[in-house]
Amino acid sequence: MISPMQKFRESEVYKSIFRHKYDDTQRNRALQIVDNVFLHLHPVRIPRHATNVGFTWGMGGITFLLFLILTLTGVILMFYYRPTAQYAYEDMKYLMNDVAFGPFVRNMHRWAAHLMVITVMLHMFRVFLTGSYKPPRQFNWVIGVILLVLTFLLSFTGYLLPWDQLSIWAVTVGTNMARATPLLGHDGPFGLELGMKIDNDIRFVLLGGTQVGPPTLLRFYVGHCIFLPLIASIFMVVHFWRIRKDGGISGPDTTKKTF
Amino acid sequence: MTTENNPQTNNPSPQITPTPLPRKAKQDRAPENDPGLWRMGRKSFFSFSAWLAFFGFIGISTIGSLRMMFPRILFEPSKKFKVGLPEEFLIGEVSEKFIDKGVWIIREQGGFYALIAICTHLGCAPRWLPTENKFKCACHGSGYYKNGINFEGPTPRPLERAAIGLADNGELEVDLSLKFKYELGDWVKEDSFYNYVA
Amino acid sequence: MKYFLEIVTKPDNIPIVALLFLVVFYTWFAFKKARKNDSQELPEEAKLDDKIQVWPNLVRVEFLGTLIVFAILAVWSITIDAPLEEPANPTLTPNPSKAPWYFLGLQELLVYFDPWIAGVILPSIIIVGLMAIPYIDINPKGNGYYTFKERKFAILTYYFGFLILWVALIILGTFLRGPGWNFFLPWEYWDPHKVVVLNNVDLSEMIGIPTKNPDNSLNIWATLFGFSFVSGFFGILGAWHYNKFKKTETYKLMGPIRYWTTSLLFWGMAFVVLKIILRLLPPVLGAYPIKYVWVTPWFNI
Repeated sequence: MISPMQKFRESEVYKSIFRHKYDDTQRNRALQIVDNVFLHLHPVRIPRHATNVGFTWGMGGITFLLFLILTLTGVILMFYYRPTAQYAYEDMKYLMNDVAFGPFVRNMHRWAAHLMVITVMLHMFRVFLTGSYKPPRQFNWVIGVILLVLTFLLSFTGYLLPWDQLSIWAVTVGTNMARATPLLGHDGPFGLELGMKIDNDIRFVLLGGTQVGPPTLLRFYVGHCIFLPLIASIFMVVHFWRIRKDGGISGPDTTKKTF
Repeated sequence: MTTENNPQTNNPSPQITPTPLPRKAKQDRAPENDPGLWRMGRKSFFSFSAWLAFFGFIGISTIGSLRMMFPRILFEPSKKFKVGLPEEFLIGEVSEKFIDKGVWIIREQGGFYALIAICTHLGCAPRWLPTENKFKCACHGSGYYKNGINFEGPTPRPLERAAIGLADNGELEVDLSLKFKYELGDWVKEDSFYNYVA
Repeated sequence: MKYFLEIVTKPDNIPIVALLFLVVFYTWFAFKKARKNDSQELPEEAKLDDKIQVWPNLVRVEFLGTLIVFAILAVWSITIDAPLEEPANPTLTPNPSKAPWYFLGLQELLVYFDPWIAGVILPSIIIVGLMAIPYIDINPKGNGYYTFKERKFAILTYYFGFLILWVALIILGTFLRGPGWNFFLPWEYWDPHKVVVLNNVDLSEMIGIPTKNPDNSLNIWATLFGFSFVSGFFGILGAWHYNKFKKTETYKLMGPIRYWTTSLLFWGMAFVVLKIILRLLPPVLGAYPIKYVWVTPWFNI
């Protein structure tokens, strides 16, 4: 008598999805990683210290997880949000008061974003302390720095979207630094000499106007929801790919007795 | 920082330097036929033009996309507006009636000037503190005297003045698009101050 | 104290409180591991060098980590609501107005530097400097394990930059800066009318060279003095260390480009600290705080 489960396991449908058996053998464990598009980011075998949370702190992985959470919750929030000065704030009120699980999803998006900034910093801290940027991983550190900047930019652009007092003034203070950019800002050193005015300098590109207003909201929205996540994803792909190509997670070089 | 080994020897994946394939030596021409700087064959000329076209296209597309970020028309509140008859203001008073438009109207003995309510440090809106007789910015604590000159905090320069003058109907009119900077010596210019003695 | 507690428990500031604890914990934790590694022949990590299979060993850890993160986020999101203040009003600046918390370190630097330095130049140098780290640090030791003894300079510099100039300034900017960006101690009342004398003088004025001529134009001698002060700072300190360092084996391996990049970044960081000290120390000694050390017609530092 074979159980229905066993029968299902031997059916054509099951076999077409899972291309290997689940018996606990070395081969099946390897296939579990190699045959799975999501898991094949990993190598099949890694040194034991790489699974030790005390060594890695898991911060890079948590950062990626938070990015996924933010993508998911962000997409849900987009259903209830219109990026115009007229509606943005009302939509926030609507979301917080009249949408089931609206506050929960928004809170999760907000707190995951804060957490991601922290984990990115701690990940960088750990990578520095274990010297993991040293050859051959120099370039991956550079990509990591770019991802750090992108994380800040993502968080900063998202800050404006609720269109409340907190967001508009944080962004006013933040973008006003751009007006003082040397050469490219109308208030910066040598800006006036190069013909920079309030309506043609670098700050204008960010704001889409001469002050934080409706065009700014739209620009930040598009940047926050499409442009920056896209760029960040590309850099993340390279970041993860380079971990594998640079010899996996860093560890002491035991082939040489230099300690 | 101490170093014992050369980093190159420690590199787990040493660089492989392939031996270059032998190239066909270019024929040298007799010096009198040598075109000098213009030594470029037909094929390399085509190759050069093709690359030029390629990068030209990319470059012009980039410039075009950047240009697209600057719209030709902005829908922003008018920069020019009337603020009322001169008699409506008191001598020595800092009028906050038009703070919504981002400007203070100040009447002194000799006339009027309009200070733009944007902190020259980072663009916050400062407040007028009548008891302390100064403008104070909440963001970083920059302070300005009543005439707009900075005296405390991190701000690098005085507040800016907007153009002020008399409209046809006898009311004062402020134009925020014309700015006067003290440090450039603009405050003696016409329109930076409206002479008025009652 | 009430105001301090209020600001600490503000929903948007919870990450900073968390960051404070996390940074202290991880600094201690990394140091503990480094000391252990430094005291023995082989680093701990080298003993755990055997290869194991990712399924299930690593995937299990990742799954557990995912669950923990979800649990934390779920509890956090249920118990604390993200803030939503009054609708945006471009004419009413809240007092104090603060940037998002992770930029408050930079906002704090705005007190000491003009916006083009604090908001543009310094962040750019930080980013480029961070990117340059792998290329200027040629010490092959300490690659892939915790250590302190083998790379003291690198680790101490990073600690200083990250813990003092980034995290500590964020905490100062968030918790101790109140209305008017005035400094308030934790037990003080956030008085929006607090009057602090912020009359600054330039460094040249402190030694008797007025920055402005009587006709309000710039005094060329003040500009020259500032230039010699700034170039003297970098020149003297740079030359002093170069003379000490040029004979060493490390310098030969680094070469001039790596050395001078490192030197410039390091003394640049020191200069930021110097400028902060010049602003904060004189009032304690009963003198005016320093506004600029170098005034020119185009920019001021």
